[in-house]
Amino acid sequence: MMLPFLIVIPLFGAFSMPIVSLLGRKAREAWAVIVSLATLGVAGAVFYDIWSTKKVLVYTLGAKSPLGQGVDFPIRIVWEVDLLGAIMILIVTFVAFMAILYSIGYMKHDTGLEKYYTLILILELGMLGIVMTGDLFNFYVFLEIMSIASYALVAFRTDTWEGIEAGIKYMFVGSIASSFILLAIALLYGQYGTLTMSYLAAKMAENPTVVGKVALSLFIAGLLFKSGASPVHMWLADAHPAAPSPISAMLSGLVIKAGGTYALARILFSIYGTSVGMKTVGWVIIVFACITLIVGNAMAVIQTDIKRLLAYSSVGQIGYILLGIGIGLAAYGTNAGEIALAGAIYHTVNHALMKALLFLVAGAVIHELGTRNLNELSGIAKTMPKTTFAFLIGAAAIIGMPPLNGFASKWLIYESSAIFNPVLGAIAIIGTAFCTAAYVRVLYTFFGKPSERVMEAKDPEGSMLLPMIILVLAIIVMGLFPWQISEKIMIPAVDMLKDQVHYITAVIPNFIGGA
Amino acid sequence: MDIMTGVVYPVAGLVGLYIFVSLASLIWEGIDRKLVARMQRRVGPPLLQPLYDFFKLASKETIIPNTSNFMFRAAPVLSLATAIALLAYTPLGFEPILTSKGDVIVFIYLLALLSLFKILGAISSGNPYAKIGAAREAAIMVSREPAMMLAVFAIMWRLGKLGIEKPFSMSVFYQHNIWEIGTPMSFVGALILLYVFIVWLASEIEVGYFNIPDAEEEIAEGLLVEYSGRYLALFKLTKALKAFISASLVVAIFFPWGISGYLGLTGYAATIADLLFHTLKVFLLLFAVQSIFRATTGRLKVTQAVSFLWGRVFAASLLGSLLIAMEVIM
Repeated sequence: MMLPFLIVIPLFGAFSMPIVSLLGRKAREAWAVIVSLATLGVAGAVFYDIWSTKKVLVYTLGAKSPLGQGVDFPIRIVWEVDLLGAIMILIVTFVAFMAILYSIGYMKHDTGLEKYYTLILILELGMLGIVMTGDLFNFYVFLEIMSIASYALVAFRTDTWEGIEAGIKYMFVGSIASSFILLAIALLYGQYGTLTMSYLAAKMAENPTVVGKVALSLFIAGLLFKSGASPVHMWLADAHPAAPSPISAMLSGLVIKAGGTYALARILFSIYGTSVGMKTVGWVIIVFACITLIVGNAMAVIQTDIKRLLAYSSVGQIGYILLGIGIGLAAYGTNAGEIALAGAIYHTVNHALMKALLFLVAGAVIHELGTRNLNELSGIAKTMPKTTFAFLIGAAAIIGMPPLNGFASKWLIYESSAIFNPVLGAIAIIGTAFCTAAYVRVLYTFFGKPSERVMEAKDPEGSMLLPMIILVLAIIVMGLFPWQISEKIMIPAVDMLKDQVHYITAVIPNFIGGA
Repeated sequence: MDIMTGVVYPVAGLVGLYIFVSLASLIWEGIDRKLVARMQRRVGPPLLQPLYDFFKLASKETIIPNTSNFMFRAAPVLSLATAIALLAYTPLGFEPILTSKGDVIVFIYLLALLSLFKILGAISSGNPYAKIGAAREAAIMVSREPAMMLAVFAIMWRLGKLGIEKPFSMSVFYQHNIWEIGTPMSFVGALILLYVFIVWLASEIEVGYFNIPDAEEEIAEGLLVEYSGRYLALFKLTKALKAFISASLVVAIFFPWGISGYLGLTGYAATIADLLFHTLKVFLLLFAVQSIFRATTGRLKVTQAVSFLWGRVFAASLLGSLLIAMEVIM
């Protein structure tokens, strides 16, 4: 059983970091890299295990069986990982490893790095916990671990005004969102008397109540906050630019998905499932998705700060993922719904890769030139060719150009939304048009006439370049086999996510029937 | 055998087509220059002049401006590579080499990518004239493509209703054509769309009204101002290929009839006969759109061109598509 090591290794790495740090900075960096690499290895093994057996992996803390003695309901904390969880685990550990590798070069001039590496490992741990857990309160704890680590990391550079400002904003908004979620959990516990997700799902299917619906609305509200959906995306546009770039890459690539869209999908499909009106909930999500799509991408066009542009673009891309989830709910059981969900999961993975790449590129530019203002970055293609090339690939992928990975996932979302409701398809296309305009504008600047400021810049050092190269390769290779990946990984993940009965029986074997 | 049919034959076919189309399109350029010269009572250059130009440019020294970046060198190569890839999806009198359902999107994408690489190459030179040319090219590109896309999709959707195995692919045109529907409404619609495609073709190959992005009198060759030697030769070749490919699309939509059936040919002979007949049709179409249009009209301002493309051409495309679609919807 490899599953516990996904928590053990980063936790051990984080807690031993202050001691290892006494050995000096080389040891600290090496330790962070080793720990995250080991986690990636375990994640790969877990993913392969789940993918090849197509079984929901259940792990009980403290005993062999989640059920209590003589009772037929779970009394212990369980971890429950299906294929969607495994995909998230793999992508979280992969991008976190890239970000840590990148930090070696990027954070060279900062102080307090033992805290930085501790926090970044804790951030990874929190996200892994969220995607692994099968217990609602455990979910909340990991969500808070992730959130608090990210508040601290956003405000890591305490000597800059914007770090502090963004950190405070993020912390206030995030705490309110977390308290919504805690309140929802409390309501559900009061009503149903259990915190195990699968048992809760079974109880809820037997006896749907108004309290359950109130809790659902609180969950949706809290998780839309965490994912940066549109009316409540304002923290994101400040937090991503202010954080150090490897942290932006993790925030934008992972945090808003693990703690946002993934959690939303898990709660909607695995806990609530058919016990609520899926069409209504689906349309609620779709409405937010459409607003998010348009607002995020349109705001990206007018930015002059490169990281802010990328942050708004993240909001826009979250819109696509939410659109996929929303259509998956509203068109539950039809082919369009299945394609939409596959597209949403696929886009989650793809966006994590490409946005991580883009933020790492932005970080390299800022590291070399010390400015985030796009108007001053004219012509960096001359002096930073490799970085610009990486940006070109990332931008083309995020727009969805065919030989790259963004195409297939966006295609699935376009196709399903056009089948489901052509208006939604049109909105998705308009979002992409804005997105294209935003990135073409950046490319126009990057390839233009070199300004004086740019002339002394050069490509960053190896430890910063290597993660970018790996991500570029990942984007290109994934782009070459889009339909195979969709067929072999994403569609099975959708099937497992929709199979609520299986999710319940994995923990409670003698549960019969369904909703 | 699988490798032979799956990989070797298509590659051999693509290489053969590439050589043929390059020669044909360069020779067409020679014919075009000769014809325009005749219209203006000049003698004009010999027919093979574009080939001589190409070799001359290829042998010249290539100057790289010191403000340029890697894209300046990469863009001509990428753009030619895109044009060659596009040939595999182009209907040239017979079904394209790589035809599958939905490949019309690949066709449109690659055609737009050609312009995008040209724009990237131009702005990478660091020359402000090239940058102005690139901005114009982008404005024209954004204005001209929607009309064409709408018309192509409407026609393909309508033809798909007649029963075909690969919907939205370039091979549709060789199974059914737009005149076959036969009702007056579709006939009028098809004529309107023919107008749309002719204007689109003129703006795609940038002649007459639309010779705007590299207007030499205003902005000194615009886009290509910094290109010289080999890279300029590549761009010129790409431009000739693009003219042939764009015209092939129009020919395939509106005049797809082959000749091999009448001559009773089969196998390779039929393919070659169709290819030659298609080339003839492309030359005739380009004569109407390129030579005559170029000789008789001057260029518009970029704002005029954009408002013309949206106000007239896109509106016509909308009207034509509605007329074509009407019988099915009602």
